[in-house]
Amino acid sequence: MSTIQESEREEIREALVRFLRAEAGEERLREGMQRDRGYDEALWRQLADMGLLGITVSEAYGGIGGSTIDAAMVAEELGRSLLPVPFIETCVMVPSLLESGDITEETQDILSAIVRGTATIAIGGNTALAPYRDPDSTLKLNSDGSVSGEVSLVMHGAHADFLLLTFGSDAQTRCVLVSSDSGYDVDKQTANDPALRPATIKLNNTPCTALTGLRKDDLERARLRGVAALSALQAGAARAIFELTIDYLKTRYQFGRPIGSFQALKHIAADLFLEVESATSAAHAAANALASADPLAAKSVALAGFICNDAFRDVSAQAIQLHGGIAYTREHVAHLYWRRARATLSMLGDSNTHREAYLNTWEAAA
Amino acid sequence: MSQFDSDASPEALRVAVLSWLDTHWDSENRRPLTEPTYDRRHWRQQVLEAGLAVPSWPPEWFGLGMTSAQCKVIEKAFAERNAPGTGLDRYHLGAITVFKAGSDALKREMLPELLTGPICCLLYSEPNAGSDLAGIRTRAERDGEQYIINGQKVWTSNAREADYGMLLARTDWDAPKHRGITFFLFPMKQPGVEIRPINQITGESEFNEIFIENAVVPERFMIGNLNEGWGSFQTAIAYERLIMGQGITGRRRNSATRSRPPLLELAEKTHKLNDSVIRQRLAQALAYREVNNLNNERAMTEMMTKGSMSLMSLSKLAMSRIQHDEAAIATDLLGPEALLDGPDNSDAANTNFDAAKAYMNSIGGGTDQIQRNIIAEKVLGLPKEHEPDKGIAFREVKSGAGPRTAG
Repeated sequence: MSTIQESEREEIREALVRFLRAEAGEERLREGMQRDRGYDEALWRQLADMGLLGITVSEAYGGIGGSTIDAAMVAEELGRSLLPVPFIETCVMVPSLLESGDITEETQDILSAIVRGTATIAIGGNTALAPYRDPDSTLKLNSDGSVSGEVSLVMHGAHADFLLLTFGSDAQTRCVLVSSDSGYDVDKQTANDPALRPATIKLNNTPCTALTGLRKDDLERARLRGVAALSALQAGAARAIFELTIDYLKTRYQFGRPIGSFQALKHIAADLFLEVESATSAAHAAANALASADPLAAKSVALAGFICNDAFRDVSAQAIQLHGGIAYTREHVAHLYWRRARATLSMLGDSNTHREAYLNTWEAAA
Repeated sequence: MSQFDSDASPEALRVAVLSWLDTHWDSENRRPLTEPTYDRRHWRQQVLEAGLAVPSWPPEWFGLGMTSAQCKVIEKAFAERNAPGTGLDRYHLGAITVFKAGSDALKREMLPELLTGPICCLLYSEPNAGSDLAGIRTRAERDGEQYIINGQKVWTSNAREADYGMLLARTDWDAPKHRGITFFLFPMKQPGVEIRPINQITGESEFNEIFIENAVVPERFMIGNLNEGWGSFQTAIAYERLIMGQGITGRRRNSATRSRPPLLELAEKTHKLNDSVIRQRLAQALAYREVNNLNNERAMTEMMTKGSMSLMSLSKLAMSRIQHDEAAIATDLLGPEALLDGPDNSDAANTNFDAAKAYMNSIGGGTDQIQRNIIAEKVLGLPKEHEPDKGIAFREVKSGAGPRTAG
């Protein structure tokens, strides 16, 4: 359970909202897109100064020991802002993995560095734990304990301070940590979303540290926490572009009246509102279920997985349509939401996979 | 002075209510302790006198001035003892409307009666006033101290059992449509009121058509002021939609979490649980239900904490999609068998019934399209569409049959 009280959580949220509004508006977002990382590193350090990067890290390692509910709250606001930071990997999934495995001096150092904002971690591989699963990954562990092979679709891979590489199968997943000092080649990949920085990583007998003491449950928990945080991020982003669109419907005049008065558009808006609220409800339910160790948490997470995926996709797509010509331009922000929605559709499992997992939990329960 | 203190702690209130019930109600035999059998009117009278029938209303109007949280405590205590009769301030549409919109004189005369005995039905829709409800043409004409009513109403449930109807009638044909309507408490058991059941597409007949010819309603049974009935009606309809939302929540949560969903069973029975397309559709249908429950829970919380009703309006629209989708999947699961019907083909008959019944939600109580307008305008704040009948005398407004006449 979380060590953060409800009232404290609202205070943290308000501070984060104020910060993002002041420091991470559209102009800053577009400026960040020109940079190597896709975002301004100063913002990441400021989030660290606010204590938010250690939101799920135990107090023992300098974090604030929050739960999935707190992580979801931060993700929701980051989603609204479209800031392309590696929050889900670095601040949710990796701490979950490191804290449930064997604690070593190195893992302690990494956890502290995460909290301070001095270590970002990218995750890659061919297992369900990789945000973008690369089925063609050739990663393998050598007999001397080093790692070799090639893996693509590693988000933030080019600039991360550590790589967490996963391989094997979903039934038997292995994880190793590779420091960016260890020497490997990076080929940057071009993403459709101009803020995102995927990369191909090529390793050749690269030294690494195997994560030990991780049971299957621990790996699954880290994945579920990642999906729950991603769902919250999508719910927040969907709500942001929805609100922007509703404002436009009220202020854009054609035929001598606001276009939002036309039922053809109004009805789409009402349906999208249902999608947005459903995404929020599903994301919150998933975060709550994980925080309270609900035995049916996997079901809630699978539900949020596809409800939020589809809501963000539909809302951002309709946002362009409802705006009309103005949103067919690069200057307008709508396409950035739409691109991000498309980029997250296959992150940590696509909707069809989540739906299948969801139905499985129904069958198992009955 | 009441024995129930609105400053009492929840636990003290619970104890007080339970002890009142224990001296008045035989929970084992479900009857008042003082009487050999259960008589609805007598029991409701006792509950009313204790202030427990409508606890949220102020003490001078039969209540206890309790908050909604305190009312919940009272309702729970009644449920613990298996006793009926509380919560009428949430469920009795007729009494609520009279309480919210009626004159003091009407409240004094009618509330004690409404809260103990009679059943009320709703006389709102007309054959030519459905989605455009304010376009009603049932006439109320003043005749001394009473009004003479002529017209036709439709989609009225419980009409045969009802003692009173909540009636919307036109009293001014020269005012714009919303401003010439008056709300009445209409006595149903009188000559000139003819009730005909409607044969619905499901085979049911829960609704009726009401033909009203020269029936009368005393002037003192007017709810609110002359020609201001539309405002009073808004109070009534808001409560009706609230009750619909609550009903949906309660019923669905049981079926969603406690047993295997019927659709899953049908898929198994028809050997299609391995079909990947069907599996995706099943998951989506189950998800719509679960998400609707989650939305309703958030709606309740938001209403309690912020007084916000915005989420509440989504449930009815969401339910239309759920019911039509589920019926469509069940039809596909059955395949050719779905063409059959009748008691020998219960799966087909149930599926066909559900497919027809789904329209009850997507048309009744405001169509999905009207519901989308309401969400867009009242919740999202989008402007109303151009209204050609706005500000025009009702008798000049176009109807499908040309300009309406006052007859």
